Amino acid sequence: MIKVTNLQKIFRGRGQEVRAVDDVSAHITKAEVVVVIGPSGSGKSTFLRCLNGLESFDAGHIIIDGKDLADRKTDINKVRREVGMVFQQFNLFPHKTVLENLTLAQMVVRGRDKAAAEIKGRALLNKVGISQKESEYPSRLSGGQQQRVAIARALAMDPKIMLFDEPTSALDPEMVGEVLDVMKQLAREGMTMVVVTHEMGFAREVADRVLFMDQGKIVEEGTPEHFFTAPQEERTKLFLSQVL
Amino acid sequence: MPKAIILKATNTDLYWKLLLAGILLLIAAGMWGATKRIDYTWRWQRVPQYFVYKAEDLHKAPADAKVVDIIAKGAQTEVVLIEEDGHRLEILIDSDSLKVQKGEELFEGDALGYTRGWHVGPLLQGLWVTIWISFFSGIFGLILGVFTGLCRVAKNPALRGGAILYVELIRGTPLLVQIFIFYFFVGTVLDLDRVVAGVGALGIFAGAYVAEIVRAGIQSIPRGQMEAARSVGMTVSQAMRHIILPQAFKRTLPPLAGQFISLIKDSSLVSVIAITDLTKSGREVVTSSFATFEVWFVVAALYLVVTSVLSQVIFWMERRLAISD
Repeated sequence: MIKVTNLQKIFRGRGQEVRAVDDVSAHITKAEVVVVIGPSGSGKSTFLRCLNGLESFDAGHIIIDGKDLADRKTDINKVRREVGMVFQQFNLFPHKTVLENLTLAQMVVRGRDKAAAEIKGRALLNKVGISQKESEYPSRLSGGQQQRVAIARALAMDPKIMLFDEPTSALDPEMVGEVLDVMKQLAREGMTMVVVTHEMGFAREVADRVLFMDQGKIVEEGTPEHFFTAPQEERTKLFLSQVL
Repeated sequence: MPKAIILKATNTDLYWKLLLAGILLLIAAGMWGATKRIDYTWRWQRVPQYFVYKAEDLHKAPADAKVVDIIAKGAQTEVVLIEEDGHRLEILIDSDSLKVQKGEELFEGDALGYTRGWHVGPLLQGLWVTIWISFFSGIFGLILGVFTGLCRVAKNPALRGGAILYVELIRGTPLLVQIFIFYFFVGTVLDLDRVVAGVGALGIFAGAYVAEIVRAGIQSIPRGQMEAARSVGMTVSQAMRHIILPQAFKRTLPPLAGQFISLIKDSSLVSVIAITDLTKSGREVVTSSFATFEVWFVVAALYLVVTSVLSQVIFWMERRLAISD
């Protein structure tokens, strides 16, 4: 589903070079849930943002569903239709109602008519448990509700892959659970997911595989059992001792 | 207790308002005294006739003709003429001004009589010219400004450079000089009508400022909005149209309102290329009425009415758009 080979992303500025993603290779299969953890500045978010082309990269290949993002002939907009993304700051469209947030891209990008888009939108709002808020504006919703709407917005495009960029980091603690529940349900339904998170409980419970990144590299990867009970690398042990 | 505090607050408010009223009265009295000293006679009664006036329109025989019939129709009378080539004409005039008889032979230009009617005076005509010149240059400036603002934030260096050049050129030179250049140079080269030249110069001037407002508005929208729009597969232009510009528009409404109010006032400068707008009408009315002070006060009040209506409309739009806040 996703094949990343020798990915390299360098941030340049003021004569300095930061290797945000340094020679990363990964293979993610269909219906797999991969959780990426690591200290801040480890390049995990940049890696995730490369996967749907929000961040360009300097070398390597990312092949999503057979299409190479490094190939100039690839239409990035077509790839993005199949890859949903959920952001730390939700990034809902504040001038659109909750339902309009879900229907807009369906109509503009997928070319669905309004009625079909609304049926789809309402079904998804129901699924994430906010159907009674469809005509509210996002500013009237709590953080947890906004993030669930953001997940529904991404799902409305019928993506084959969902990317989550620290989806619970901007939430008040009591709202983390409701968002994680939606993500767990998605995982159970067989969605291919790549999740950057600090929620170790989620990683342990839901992940098929955990990637630990530090300084732009994948330091260690394995099943959650391996990861949380018997980590091999010193840096992994150090990180886990700090967060657990 | 809270009630007492509120009462006290409104009381002190009242004192300050009374003080303001006192100061305004003092200024008014000072102005009155000052005009007394220079021995100016206020003649406000001369002003209304420059808004609307009743006038007699003389009707003349358009060609050599014979009066074949005169039919009374209440306060008006129909004069029926037959021209030498057999062409029949019916002309209505006020009965008490009838100057011809049945069977009379008329020469071209002979008076038949007149009709009295209300006419729009120069001040209202000038106001109308100011309004539509401002309207069209505003629309032109808005289109130009949005386009330039988009170029200003574009990745393409040629678009960006062109936009910067345009904005700097226009903002760095006086509008009066631009109007002269547009009228005498561009207008001559392209053979433009003076009104087209005036609207063009004002629109290009406003466009430069609108461009900067639009750029600031676009850049004030968080980056995450563009990323969210792109992440669901929208192209840059779809994201601009559906996500960025609607939000930027809401934020730019207050500065845009200020810009269009400025434009209405700046439109007074087109009077230098002999467009009879409100300011030029005012100048003409002054020369015929000699009521200099009154006319300029009235002209100022008319500008104020137009700008206030515009700011009320924009205020109403802001409130409508605020529902998503």
